[in-house]
Amino acid sequence: MNRDVRAAGRGPVGPIPAVAGIGLRSAHHESLVRERPAVGWIEAHTENYFHDGGPQLLALERARALYPLSLHGVGLGLGSAAPIDREHLSRVKRAIDRFEPALVSEHACWGQSGGEHFNDLLPLPQTEEALRHLASRVREVQDVLGRQILIENLSSYLAFTSSQLTEWEFLSALVEESGCGLLLDVNNIFVNSVNLGLDPLQYIAGVPPAAVQEIHLAGHLRKQVGDRVLLIDDHGSTVCPEVWRLYETALRRFGPVPTLIEWDTDVPALEVLVAEAALADQYLERARELAA
Amino acid sequence: MNSPPEPTKLAQLQARFAAVLRGPGHDGAMADPALVAGIVDDGLAPAARLNLYRNNTRAMFVGALERSYPVIARRVGDGYFQRLAAEYRAAHPSRSCDLHWIGENFPAWLAVRLAGTEYAWLADLARLEWACEEVLVAADAPAIAIEALGGVAQEMLPEMRLRLQPALRCVNSAYPVWSVWRANQPDQPGDAIAADRGAEHVIVARADDRPVLHLRPEAEVRFVAALSSGAGLQQALENSCLPVEDLPQALAWLFQHGLVVALEAPAPGGEE
Repeated sequence: MNRDVRAAGRGPVGPIPAVAGIGLRSAHHESLVRERPAVGWIEAHTENYFHDGGPQLLALERARALYPLSLHGVGLGLGSAAPIDREHLSRVKRAIDRFEPALVSEHACWGQSGGEHFNDLLPLPQTEEALRHLASRVREVQDVLGRQILIENLSSYLAFTSSQLTEWEFLSALVEESGCGLLLDVNNIFVNSVNLGLDPLQYIAGVPPAAVQEIHLAGHLRKQVGDRVLLIDDHGSTVCPEVWRLYETALRRFGPVPTLIEWDTDVPALEVLVAEAALADQYLERARELAA
Repeated sequence: MNSPPEPTKLAQLQARFAAVLRGPGHDGAMADPALVAGIVDDGLAPAARLNLYRNNTRAMFVGALERSYPVIARRVGDGYFQRLAAEYRAAHPSRSCDLHWIGENFPAWLAVRLAGTEYAWLADLARLEWACEEVLVAADAPAIAIEALGGVAQEMLPEMRLRLQPALRCVNSAYPVWSVWRANQPDQPGDAIAADRGAEHVIVARADDRPVLHLRPEAEVRFVAALSSGAGLQQALENSCLPVEDLPQALAWLFQHGLVVALEAPAPGGEE
């Protein structure tokens, strides 16, 4: 089979280096392979590569031959009270077997109820019940995949009165109970600090450093809702100065960690992402010097 | 084992939240009081916060449907497409964690929804667009050459099955769906094509990583559809009413386009 994904040259399979990477979007499939920009790694949305064949798979195969890969899932909705979709999970496994990513991640969220999927990352209350539930689901997924996964903190537009734990306490306990790692989205921490009135520095100080294996950075949108400004996590612009400052704080606590520039809406030319990644690399370089 | 007699608090919360997301409501609509009471109110109304999610999930659904049906969206305009999408979502909510498949039932739903109206033909256009979606993600398979037929004993030919590319779909339509599809590609001006211009029959395949639409005679498209559903040559001829004298040309066309991946002798013991 001339286009068998498995027959292709395989890129590096070791751990992802503590440098900046970029999210792979279909708009950049060609330019990435043609220009081979100096980014350390790429991250792809797992669900975009569930197919049996075709150009989308081939594009990731080509990119994978050049860069280390992280597969980032958006569909499992691990916090849903409904059972895990085993069919979906087996497709995740198939994508992992195909592309051999160094990192695999999902979100601390729910996504379906009553048989309907909302195809969105919906917020969980930070209750003991939700924690036990999410931890058992994470363990279930890790058992099926035969590997540790990273769980990403969510951006949110609301908080539940039933929450007994802070977000960072919830994440720390999740790590403890499930053995997962964390993908810390620093933009989401900032977004939640504005939307929910959290203290972002306390958040970063409350996360267990050893668990943080990846960081996400992205832009957000300011939206006027009534007389308030809410931040919409649209991944549609450059990283804002406040998030860069928070990132610097995070690196001081966690040391240099593989960092991804995410851009999903109004995706610009590849160079723009590469330039953002170069900026992140400067922060990482400084963090390395401090750590030395 | 995962169904306790009483829904857990988490399940109850998610069911209430889901009802809001599903709701056709607008920003001023009253949200479920029990749900609202469970959301921190720090000056910005919980209902306004919930609306953000409701609008998001709706936009996500419509956006995904539009990505699968760009020609219909362009042809009917944004306002009407949004209305159709909302109705379709109420009838066929997403059943998959994977957003790509939400449009799967759209052609069949449109056929019922638009039956008897001047837009009935859109259902056929939807079938064509969904065929393109399926073709784009189907498995890759190496083609075989027409010479392979030479190795088949004459008496075996009528029962012989041709396994066709997974990336192949057939669309027979009483409407000019091929012309409308072509006229509404992004690089085309989008000329209006009269729906009564006549029937068009299309074989959708994949080439150079894109769906390619071949306009073919009706009987030939039916013949290929029969083959791809597993009929033997003789059976496919009968089902499609393809004249036997057109068979060599139809087969040659399939092989030329790399659409045949295997020849299969009938399984011993008759029909599967």
